[in-house]
Amino acid sequence: METINQKQQGKALSRLEGALKVTGAAQYAGEYSAPDLLYGHVVNSTIPKGKIQKIYTEEILKLPGIIEIFTHENRPSLAWFNFQYSDMDAPPGSPFRPLHDAEIKYYGQPVALVVAESFEEARFAASVLKIDYEKEAFTTNFTNQLDDARAPKRGFATLLKPLPPKPKGDFDKAFDESPVQVSADDYYHGTEHHNPMEMHATTTMFEGEGKLTIYDKTQGTVNSQLYVANVFGLSFKDVRVIAPYVGGAFGSGLQPQYQLFMSVMAALELKRSVRVTLTRAQMYTFGHRPPTLQQIKVAAEMDGKITALHHKATAETSRFEDYTEVVVNWGNILYPVENTKLDYELVPVDVYSPLDMRAPGGSTGLHPLECALDELAYELKMDPLDLRLKNYAEQDDSENRPFSSKELKECYLQGAEKFGWYNRSPQPRSMRRGNRLVGYGMATGIWESMTLPAKAEATLTKEGKFRVRSAVTDIGTGTLTVMTQIAADALGVGLDEVEFEYGDSKMPFAPIQGGSYTVSTVGSAVVAACQALRKRLLKIAQKANGSLFETASESKVSLTNGHLSLSEKPDVAVSFQELLTVSGKRMIKASKTNIPNPLTLKKYTRAAHSAAFVEVEVDEELGVINVTRALTAVAAGTIVNPKTARSQIVGGMVWGISKALREETITDHRLGRYMNPNLAEYHIPVHADIHDLDVIFVEEKDDIVNPLGSKGLGEIGIVALPPAIANAVFHATGKRIHQLPIHFDMLL
Amino acid sequence: MISYEFDYTRPDTVEAALDLLDDDSKILAGGHSLIPALKLRLSAPGKLIDIARIPSLKGIKMDGNELVIGAAATHSDILESDLIKQHLPMFAEGAALIGDPMIRHKGTLGGSLAHADPSADWPAMVLAAEGTVVVQSKTGTRSISSDDFFTGFYSTALESGEIITEIRFPIPAEGTKMTYQKFVQPASRFAIVGCAALRHPDGTARVAFTGVADAPFRDTAVENAVGDWSEEALEAAVALTAQGMEFNVDHYASETYRHHLARVYCRKALKALLY
Amino acid sequence: METTQLSRNTNTSKIDCIRTVTFTINGQSTQLQLPPWVSLLDALRHHLHLTGTKKGCDHGQCGACTVMCDGKRILSCLTLAVSKDQSSITTIEGIADNGELHPLQKAFIEYDAFQCGYCTPGQICSAVGMMQEGKAQNRAEVQELMSGNLCRCGANSQIIDAIMEVYIPETHE
Repeated sequence: METINQKQQGKALSRLEGALKVTGAAQYAGEYSAPDLLYGHVVNSTIPKGKIQKIYTEEILKLPGIIEIFTHENRPSLAWFNFQYSDMDAPPGSPFRPLHDAEIKYYGQPVALVVAESFEEARFAASVLKIDYEKEAFTTNFTNQLDDARAPKRGFATLLKPLPPKPKGDFDKAFDESPVQVSADDYYHGTEHHNPMEMHATTTMFEGEGKLTIYDKTQGTVNSQLYVANVFGLSFKDVRVIAPYVGGAFGSGLQPQYQLFMSVMAALELKRSVRVTLTRAQMYTFGHRPPTLQQIKVAAEMDGKITALHHKATAETSRFEDYTEVVVNWGNILYPVENTKLDYELVPVDVYSPLDMRAPGGSTGLHPLECALDELAYELKMDPLDLRLKNYAEQDDSENRPFSSKELKECYLQGAEKFGWYNRSPQPRSMRRGNRLVGYGMATGIWESMTLPAKAEATLTKEGKFRVRSAVTDIGTGTLTVMTQIAADALGVGLDEVEFEYGDSKMPFAPIQGGSYTVSTVGSAVVAACQALRKRLLKIAQKANGSLFETASESKVSLTNGHLSLSEKPDVAVSFQELLTVSGKRMIKASKTNIPNPLTLKKYTRAAHSAAFVEVEVDEELGVINVTRALTAVAAGTIVNPKTARSQIVGGMVWGISKALREETITDHRLGRYMNPNLAEYHIPVHADIHDLDVIFVEEKDDIVNPLGSKGLGEIGIVALPPAIANAVFHATGKRIHQLPIHFDMLL
Repeated sequence: MISYEFDYTRPDTVEAALDLLDDDSKILAGGHSLIPALKLRLSAPGKLIDIARIPSLKGIKMDGNELVIGAAATHSDILESDLIKQHLPMFAEGAALIGDPMIRHKGTLGGSLAHADPSADWPAMVLAAEGTVVVQSKTGTRSISSDDFFTGFYSTALESGEIITEIRFPIPAEGTKMTYQKFVQPASRFAIVGCAALRHPDGTARVAFTGVADAPFRDTAVENAVGDWSEEALEAAVALTAQGMEFNVDHYASETYRHHLARVYCRKALKALLY
Repeated sequence: METTQLSRNTNTSKIDCIRTVTFTINGQSTQLQLPPWVSLLDALRHHLHLTGTKKGCDHGQCGACTVMCDGKRILSCLTLAVSKDQSSITTIEGIADNGELHPLQKAFIEYDAFQCGYCTPGQICSAVGMMQEGKAQNRAEVQELMSGNLCRCGANSQIIDAIMEVYIPETHE
């Protein structure tokens, strides 16, 4: 007798779209074509601040193949109010409006779109379009403007990104009176750009009758749809946004970027299909991870008990929006401290607004915090891991509430064991391999586990298969595969009986894909929709054959071999075809919105935790640092797919290595522009830089966070790596470097 | 694509190429320096003359007591050549450090020398190996000693109307040792500092650097100081590295750090020639 | 400079510049009418709609556009299409054999050697070339010889795992 369907969650499935990606068949936003397709190329400002005086379009329009040049002078009239340009991730302030007026707010601001019959013609014309500017004084260096630092404005986006909690106790007194103190005010992080391998692109298909089908590189199909409809005054139903494959985003697609605006505007005005693809250099002309300056002070008793914590971050923002991230709140969630002072301030300068970039805030704030703990451990002559265990938080001290679950201690212990943490000799510069110094470092990681409202739809098709839909994207996280697993389990069917469809704004609502909340958010909606479909099918079965199914409940039926049957008595069954016939419909659908219960959730702090252990080798003669091995132990609830989950963590670890040792966008503050907007000078790790990376998922059961018990993995892999690396560099060399990335010459 | 329009021809002989060459044209070989420059509009010739497939420019051969590398030999041709491994092993060592395999399959020795990027690898090796750059024009051919070839930032002794056809090297005497040591810029893989060094059997040396200053250069102070190759002599030579040079400065390496690296790589190179 | 550029180009009749390029793409003889300034990458993507070959930088810095040309891996973004007249090109679309995935393609799936998938065609074409070159003796050398292909998702170790599985199976655990 066949047993109930095997549980699909927990299986290390390969990605379902794998064959399409390895054969080149997977199509990305800039790869869709139309017979009459036009090509748009964006022209960007070459000054950081001022006004456009004149754009010499006349001569360019005479060039062969040129259809139109859009500028602020001839763009169509657009939505009037700021809120109409706001999207789900817009910071408080006035959203940037492309081609709005003559004002230049930042270097690289899009100022014109050249549209031509061919890509070559558009790009050539864009390259020779002459523009006169009136330059104005500007500043792009926030560290020179610290007097302007102020508290951030609040808005919709700050609901999900709480500002720091109020001070507690008496920090100054506790710090002064504590026997051991650590203090530093020179933690500096440079600007970073997302640099997904696929450059941002939008292909807008002009369908006629006011309808648009838009292939957009985005992390939120509905978010792009909302933006386009609002800005261009279109009806939502006439705007369909599809993001079938997304070639990485890491936050760059959380907000609609200007290529979307440009492509749609040109398509509407010219009544033709238009594609706009940005260049790699243009990928540095919208959001970025902001540079920050941080101060930290930690004090403890002689036994290691932390008594006082002050963490302050000052971050860059633009003149027009207050971009915020959660930088300083983590310390008091991770460690119980009675006296805290946590501050977060912004300094507006003449740049584009920063934008969430993988592990926004967490990857910034945990670095000083976890390095300060390392310094404290050395001051106390305590093992850095023992210091963390001594200050282990059984509850969230900052909110005075329990964790929904927290297996961080297991992360510490299992991670230390597998890594061989206690094999190290604690003294800095005491370990060598050949002519290289060797260092071990560790750090703690945390990332909030959020669940947002989302809707999903489950359908029994006329072929007797199941189809589950959500507008959500799959930016490479494995969403398709994981949602298929979740749906199969929720329906109680095999993997090949269910198909997950996604990446289309026509499908049920999903929020932008970010913040590690997709499995939780969309997965919960998928479960709800599948359960609703099972209920509906049972109801129809009862209608078809009342007596047999009269007493059955949704949880007591099986959907196997094309039949709905009683789990206990499999021969009491009705075929899917009969259910379809009885329903009188071509297919049977159920959809459900999952809205997390705010009252339940408010009672708990919900977070994924990690412990990272890193070994570095340092060539002292050159200053070169090599991360020879790293291990991250993660507690993130249920792991739906260990294979894709591991890839998420390993990918995050590579990002952590990159943040610590490689990537940085460098600004020439005299010119107000970025100096290295290309992949030859913006360093990211290559294969030869990445060595032994290991991941442990510790068991963690969580009945509160969501029905799946799963916490999300997109960011937790990064956050602990930079401090663990900096701590390992100290252990190897005896030098504390507070700046990221650590440059070769800082160790000399 | 390239953001402007130009003409393209692929002649079969050097003579045909020279007939086409004028002030508005550029020679295209591997294209790995020129095409990025065209895309960035750092250069905008009206015509490209593709010499990558001209047979007479391709080979690596012996000619009397000289080893001759055709200007259109690719980095990987040089890497694979048995003649190179036998007589100029530093060139195989150095070729393996240029860019990545895709770049090595297309980039050429002649192209790299003509472009004269201050961080390119070949110039240091050509200087150390006493290369002679042979160029041809409609009026004939002339030979330029590598010592005279590199004249400054992206500039060479090559005149308009001239094409590099080959680079000739004296075949090193039995017992000659040579090495190329490079500190690589991790993303672009250009040299932050590259040091090519050659030790003749009589103990004299040729030492050249790339990446350090605005043009590659031979460091005669170091060459003269190696003396008997004792540890003291080598340290004294290393201490003289790049003395009085105006250093390249960029975000990845300050003047101090670059000077430090030049000394470290000078030491690595000299020590590699000890045994 | 810009104005002289402009005038010269407006005076150039574009028709004069069009060249016939004949090459074999994935085993099929293909003829294109192209101006010389079209890169091989754009010829593949825009003119032949073979969008499997990716553009990640257009400056030879990322490896996403890697294809095989006459048996060697090259960067199609730094190659003029006209310069490859009479050449034989294999793109990611031609790596599988009549629908049967190449062992590298299977290994990439099995080892989860990609996330977003955008660098994947270049990684696979580059790995095909690396295997044919036959130089790498161990994992470290494979890593080095694959380092011209960037991956932003951080799938680096899995990519090397997948290649090692196919390339040097006996040394791979």
